[in-house]
Amino acid sequence: MSTSIPAVANNKANVTSAEFVQLVIYNNYLPTDAGNLTVGQEYIIKTTGNTAWTTLGATSNVSGTIFTANANVANTSGTADEIEYLSFSSAYTNETIGGNVYTPLGGLLNVGVQQRSIRVSSADTSISISGVSGNNIYEILESQGQIRGSLVKIFRGFYNNNMVLSNAVLRFTGIVTNYGISEEREDRLDNYTITIDCSSYKSVLENRIAGRKTNKKSWQFFDSTDSSMNNVTSLAGFTFDFGVDPKTRTTIPSAGNGASAGGAGGKVGPRGIQRD
Amino acid sequence: MAGLQTIINKCNAISIDRRKVAGIQFTRNEIPRVSLTPTKNPWRFTLKMPASLSYYTNRDLLEALDTMDVVSPEIITFSDNACLSWIFKYQGQLSLTQRNQITVQSFVGNQLVLTNLPIVSSGTVMVEPNDVIQLGNYPYPFTSTTRITRGLGSTVTVTTNRPNILTVNVIGLGITVGNACEWNMFCPNMPTYTLVPGAYTRANGTVVNNALIEFSNDFQLYEFVGTA
Repeated sequence: MSTSIPAVANNKANVTSAEFVQLVIYNNYLPTDAGNLTVGQEYIIKTTGNTAWTTLGATSNVSGTIFTANANVANTSGTADEIEYLSFSSAYTNETIGGNVYTPLGGLLNVGVQQRSIRVSSADTSISISGVSGNNIYEILESQGQIRGSLVKIFRGFYNNNMVLSNAVLRFTGIVTNYGISEEREDRLDNYTITIDCSSYKSVLENRIAGRKTNKKSWQFFDSTDSSMNNVTSLAGFTFDFGVDPKTRTTIPSAGNGASAGGAGGKVGPRGIQRD
Repeated sequence: MAGLQTIINKCNAISIDRRKVAGIQFTRNEIPRVSLTPTKNPWRFTLKMPASLSYYTNRDLLEALDTMDVVSPEIITFSDNACLSWIFKYQGQLSLTQRNQITVQSFVGNQLVLTNLPIVSSGTVMVEPNDVIQLGNYPYPFTSTTRITRGLGSTVTVTTNRPNILTVNVIGLGITVGNACEWNMFCPNMPTYTLVPGAYTRANGTVVNNALIEFSNDFQLYEFVGTA
């Protein structure tokens, strides 16, 4: 029995689509006191303090909770980071996706290729914005570099034959890892371009160093009374041949004093013993 | 003096370009696949100028063009003089009074719905293909892609050449059709000019020096849709 492969894109001969980009910037360099919250502005709780955040619009008082302020309260010690949304698109008019309005940014030049794989991929992408007037550069610089680390979401929106947005698909989620501003002046033409480099979450997780090292210092960082690793230093460099008499004894000069603590995850010594 | 309007009035030829941004791929069995980007789809006019404009009588035009440079838009129309008014002339069958009572009920995507229609027979043609329609005083015209007759309903729907690019509320706006429509254009390539001595002229009984104006290029007007 043979089966026909269906035509491309449900046999649609004509596809009209636009790119929609959202940047979520967490203003974590200038935290706002609970007494100075702007009603209607979105925040993320930075330090809980003695502020009753649930009375200000948050669903809980836990640090990291995102909420829209409906009031502010003076004389409390909690602080929150302002969240700024920059949403723009290559469409011809304002469009709303997921409650966010995407302005038709005339300066959006290009959204880079996003690799699509069956397996989760860590491919990066980039977004180019041009602003002859420099307004876009102002937006980026005003954030004092905080755009690095911003959440990036890129949607592809599809239009029907009447040029009405019919649906949108999330095609990339990641964070801004870097940005660059270039200026080209040729004769009397001046062109500014901002390029935002974005990494997918998988790249972020791949480069993340987490967990604890098998040494006393790292162990007691979380629990100062934990003595589980107190003897690890004295064991470093020893070869353990479990079940038989030791045949060799290796001494590693750098081991034993914890001087290399802080390395990227420590090194695995002979026979899988991780040393400081 | 309105620089670009004068250029339109005096040009030799006009090229009109309002094509869409589209990419086309052909499959292995030669089926075309089209990818369209929903842009504001601006109008572009290329105006070819004669080399016979007199410097003596057109210095105000040169000053207007130099002042405007490549940055300032200007509202232009094709009803400015009798020689041009045939371009974009209204092809429908409604009188000016009948057209003036029509208002916009909605304009979503490229579907322009008109209401307050005149009382005429159902077969009366309201707009023909390529008829230009302007909403209110906003100089960003659209064209009808099909023939629209009055019909029997209280509204008619016009499929326009481009989607609604206006950021203002268009509901209730009146319409202008035909060559009375206006375009908000600027000239990104604003040609420079050379004065070629000649065409001496007589003023107050004496011959004065003169020159013919030779522009370095055609005028490529581009619709200034950034403020639509």
